Amino acid sequence: MTELCTDIGYYSLNKKGEQLCGDHIDVIEPDGDNTITAVLADGLGSGVKACILSTLTSKIISTLMANNISIEECVETIAATLPVCSVRGVAYSTFTILRIVDNREAEIIQFDNPHVILLRGGKHLDYPEEERIIGGKKIYRSRVALQEGDIFLAMSDGVIHAGVGMTLNFGWLRENVIDFLELMYDPDFTAKTYSTILLNECNRLYEGMPGDDTTVLAVKVRRRQPVSLMIGPPRNPDDLREMHERFFGEEGRHIVCGGTTSKLAAEYLGKTVETCMDYLDPEIPPIATIDGVDLVTEGVITFSRVLEYAQNYLEDNTRYTDWSYKRDGASLIARMLFEQATDIHFYVGRAVNPAHQNPNLPINFNIKMQLVDNLADCLKKMGKRVQVTRY
Amino acid sequence: MNISVCVGSSCHLRGSYNIIELMKSNLARYGLTDRVNLGAAFCLGKCTEGVSIRFDDEIVSGVSTDNFDQVFRQHVLEPLGL
Repeated sequence: MTELCTDIGYYSLNKKGEQLCGDHIDVIEPDGDNTITAVLADGLGSGVKACILSTLTSKIISTLMANNISIEECVETIAATLPVCSVRGVAYSTFTILRIVDNREAEIIQFDNPHVILLRGGKHLDYPEEERIIGGKKIYRSRVALQEGDIFLAMSDGVIHAGVGMTLNFGWLRENVIDFLELMYDPDFTAKTYSTILLNECNRLYEGMPGDDTTVLAVKVRRRQPVSLMIGPPRNPDDLREMHERFFGEEGRHIVCGGTTSKLAAEYLGKTVETCMDYLDPEIPPIATIDGVDLVTEGVITFSRVLEYAQNYLEDNTRYTDWSYKRDGASLIARMLFEQATDIHFYVGRAVNPAHQNPNLPINFNIKMQLVDNLADCLKKMGKRVQVTRY
Repeated sequence: MNISVCVGSSCHLRGSYNIIELMKSNLARYGLTDRVNLGAAFCLGKCTEGVSIRFDDEIVSGVSTDNFDQVFRQHVLEPLGL
């Protein structure tokens, strides 16, 4: 559990008025192989044509690279496959390839996109680049030995063109993007947060009307952090002891959700539940503390909010500004699961609380089970290893 | 006197937040903040059509903003001889 792992996050802004994005990202992580290949492609032009070009490019490269086919062959394949633009007479899509091998080394291959920015310890680090000409294209190749906390940011040129002729005369340069990232740096931010923070700034410079498709792909190198979360008492009371033994035997952090669940957990630990009276968010019940548990919250209502945050995180992550600093139960769970955790184990008890089976209350048993399933799905989409054990 | 307002899922949905605010303002109004320990509790096991409150060892359920004044008089003011 102490080895390094990668956290990948990305998002795009579409050019104003376009329904399709001309940038495309493809991430391939073959089973049983410790190599992750992420490709960011920016297709010529915008709209449907650009979308097709970039989708083909990223898909071809990621698939070939994942099968250990050389970059030369990849580039030749793309040149031979892409449809030629009738207006410009070329088949064209720029690309950036980020390959993380064994969580030890990053291989970066770049063609015509703004060069990947590497932050180490929050400061920009220049890495050596080797220039080669493949199929008439100038391609830069680099290898970087990874360190914990490294953040790689790949982007399409929509990022550095943000604000041209609007808020800025010439757009912001790669140097300005670096300054911005160094200023915003926080070691707890996830890859997704870096990508959305940078995109939000671009959108601001574009005054909400991006002049080009704008995409950021972030890869963060971090240590694994397991988090276990228990919600609900077991259906069969005889299983309570086993559930507690397994839950508290887990490495890493522990979250307990639900009133009855926390009371039983406290009894197991020989401690008491101290419920906090502060309603930091009037819609979210206050949290509690149990000595030996990292976080204790109410169950279903808090969980519903966490699910909302998770769904938004997978989209444009705008509610990040809520959960990233607040101290209510839902924000605290969101930070622990989205930012800190890499491996999450849910212990779900299926006892039915008779008092909650009231049609007027949005907290019945089925809702609770569904919440857990939906949240587990979201967390998997965030790239986390998720395990659910039901009792 | 110890008072715990339930903030479990069911009570929360039926207005624990408002009851805590009412409790705080009434305790302040009668100058009882030194004589009463106000706190919160997770589910008191009395999920009904209102909020449950524990006054020392007695649990009163079904408290709402409508009957709050009466509950406050009966379970706080009268036992304290006010």
